[in-house]
Order: sequence, then structure tokens, then C-alpha cells
Amino acid sequence: MKKIMMTSLAGAIFTLTAGSALAAAPADWSKVPATSISLLYPGVSPIEWITKGTEHGGARVLRKGETCAGCHSEEVGDMGQLIASGGKIEPSPIPGKAPFIDAKVQAANDGENLYLRFVWKQPAASGAPQMDENNPVKIAYMLEAGDKVELAGQSGCWGSCHGDARTMPGAAETKTKYVKGGSLPDGVFYDLNQWRSGENKAYDGHVATERVMEGGQALVSADGKLTDGVWTVDFTRKLRGGEGDVALESGKTYNFGFAIHDDSSIGRFHHVSLGYKLGIDTEADITALKQ
Amino acid sequence: MADQDSRNTQESQQRTGFFAYLCRPNVHYSLASILVVGIIAGVLFWGGFNTALEMTNTEEFCLSCHEMRDNVYPEYKETIHYTNRTGVRATCPDCHVPKEWGYKMIRKIEASRELWGKIVGTIDTPEKFEAKRLTLARNEWKRMKASDSRECRNCHSLESMNIETQKQRARKQHEMALAENMTCIDCHKGIAHHLPEGMTDEDYD
Repeated sequence: MKKIMMTSLAGAIFTLTAGSALAAAPADWSKVPATSISLLYPGVSPIEWITKGTEHGGARVLRKGETCAGCHSEEVGDMGQLIASGGKIEPSPIPGKAPFIDAKVQAANDGENLYLRFVWKQPAASGAPQMDENNPVKIAYMLEAGDKVELAGQSGCWGSCHGDARTMPGAAETKTKYVKGGSLPDGVFYDLNQWRSGENKAYDGHVATERVMEGGQALVSADGKLTDGVWTVDFTRKLRGGEGDVALESGKTYNFGFAIHDDSSIGRFHHVSLGYKLGIDTEADITALKQ
Repeated sequence: MADQDSRNTQESQQRTGFFAYLCRPNVHYSLASILVVGIIAGVLFWGGFNTALEMTNTEEFCLSCHEMRDNVYPEYKETIHYTNRTGVRATCPDCHVPKEWGYKMIRKIEASRELWGKIVGTIDTPEKFEAKRLTLARNEWKRMKASDSRECRNCHSLESMNIETQKQRARKQHEMALAENMTCIDCHKGIAHHLPEGMTDEDYD
């Protein structure tokens, strides 16, 4: 009996050790396909603006199911230029603010973890006062499953961006991002992972009725470095976490968007991607194949 | 019977007045002369009428009223219908007056109401114009929608567009317009003038 128990224990330890040893980020990221995605400076374009036909000419096609990327993916830079210069939906333009950022996104999985790498060239500093003195750069991505968050399937993170959230004109500083009808039990939420450069710290949160920056159990680590003016940030995230974490399954796609707070910015003064799909072992805008 | 006819002829000859004069057979001029004079007079009348009509169908005429010159004209000058890389300009009547004669006459008769507005000063200040801009715009959108954007289609048509060469955003919108049999003004409100304050989502449906 004692012998059997010892054997079982040894087996269990071996399995756990072997599992951990197998879980590893791609040894050679250059072999992982990269998706080029441009992020624009969005000004004041909350979901209320996006869906209002009198403001946004694309509201009609959005109502019919078109995605933001379907109309705008080829003109992200132009849009950013127009907005950052104060030409449209930016009541207080920041001189020198980068209008857009071109990034590359790579993804892989090993059956246990999802690995994401974001690479982008750091834009020139605007010279404006620092909004976040602790973190020159922050990067965050959001995941959503099943199109339960309104417009998440079409707009990426935009479903959490509202006109009454902090840093929007006239909004209370205490109001964070949120989603309409947000509910963790019902799956109406965005999973949110963020890395902050100054703190060199990873945050595992979610956005439901409000933005919560901690409490998630999926994010394993995040790390970034700036080399020759190019940022490389890697996230390692368990495919399955706990409450507030989107459980990722092989063969499925998820709504995905990401944002970079460049130039020590906060809140809406970030650069944000349109909405894309992340596929786990299945073809999507960004595909995380098993290594 | 002969007596009766004789009496009628005498009564006819005895009638006086302009109408009787017009009805009385002419004994001095040949039918050919009357026809020639009639045709010349007809041409002169028609030509005069048409010339006068076309005079009211020019940008100069529209701008002769300060209501147009001071309000809608400056904002139209900012748009692609005023100046563009190909040098084709659409002036006021190109968009606001039908080209076909029948529709044009109906529009002109309708527009005669604007004379009354001019007399009583309905929109004779910028403030009055802004206060009425939404109503005026809705009237015009309704007219254009009802005519399937006929005046837009004098120059543009979805069928003749090379949608493939358009920018991504325009491509998507025009593909949808084709599939759903939409008309130009459904989307292109405010393309030549500022959009009014107070528009609702219904204005875009």
C-alpha cells in the first residue's frame, strides 16, 4: 500500500514537473507569424459617438454588422493624423502627439499557456507634461468571448469606452471603463491584461460594471524591454484562469483589441487598435498555433 | 330655316367685345399670314418665357438674395462640389432644381412660395436661418429621397461607379447601398452644406 502511494506521488510530481517544463514561450519568435496592426490616437470617440449616425457616418453599417476594421483598417494612420491634429473629435489636441503607432503582434500556445508578443517603434515624445509620471509606457490587451459584450465582435475594446469615463471631456475622474450590462457570472465582460513599464508590473483584471485591474488568475507574467527605440513586450497567460478571465479553447476565436499608453499618457490619451480576432489553433487575424 | 341662319349671322356680327373680335373671321389677312405671325409670336413668347425661367436657374440668381449668399453659399464653397481636382462644379440649381421640364416646372411653382418668405423675412437674419435650418434641410432631404436623389444622379450613379478603386470605407458603404437599393441622400446629407443642429437618428434612417 505504502509502495503504491509512493509510486502515485512520484507520478504526480513527474507529471506536474513535466507539464511545467513543456510550458514555454516560443524559443524562436522569428518563426512565429506576425500580424501588422496600426493603432490610432482616438480622441473623443466613445462608443456613444461611434453608434450615433449624426456624428459617425459608419453607424449605419455598424448596425448592420460591419466591423470597424472592415471600413477603417486601411486608413488608421490617416484617421489618427486627423484626430491628433485637432481636425476632428479632439477638443484639446496635444502638440507633437503621435497620430498612430504601427505594431506587430505574434501569438503562440503550448496547450497550457497563450504567449503574446507586441513589438513597436517608440514614437518621438510630444514634450507635453507627463500624465503618468511612473510609467512612460503601458500596454494592455482585452479579450472577449462569445460576443456577449455589445459590439465587442465588431469594435474590439470600444465596447468598454464610454463618454462618461474618466479623462473624457466633462467626465468624473472616478468613473472607469465599463460595459453595458456588465456581469461576470453571465460572461458579459472583457478580460484585461496590462503591463506597465515604470513599475515593470503585470496586471490581470477585467472590465464589467467597472474596470478592475487585479484579481485575475490567468496572467502568468509580462515583461517588456526597449532596445534601439523598439519596444518588445511579452505576455504569458494561462489558457484558463478563474473568474474575470476568458477561458481560451483550442479551435475557437476570441474578440481582441489592444492599446498602448505612450508618452506617459493616461485614460483616453492612448493609441488603440480596431477590433480583431484571436484564434487558438485556428485561422484568425492573429493566430496562436500550438508550438 | 334660312331666316333662322340669317338671324344667327346677324347676331354674331352684332356681338362686340374682345372675345367676339377674336371669334370673328378675319377678312383682311390670309391664313398663311396669320399662321406665320402666330408662329413667330409663339416662338418669341416661348423663348422669352424660357429665358426668364433659365435666368432664375442660375447661381447668380440664387445669390441675388442675401439669404442664400450669406448663409448657405459660404459653406458650400468649402465643399468638393464647389472646387475639386477635376474642375467640375455643381452649382445651386444642379442639385436643387430638376433638369426635366415637367419636374422643373413643378419645382419652380413650389419655389414661388419662397417669394412670400422673402417678402415677410422668414429667414432674413443668420439667426432666423439657423433656427429654420433643420426644417429647411429636412424638406430638401425629403424631396431628394422621394425622387431617388434624381439631381445627384444627373452626374453620379452607383452603376457607373468603379467601386473596386474606391477607398475601403467608401467601398463598404457603396456595396451596402447597392445591395439594399439605397439612394444617395440616405448617406450624403451635409455634403454641400453644414449639417443642422438637432438632427436625430431618424434623420439618418
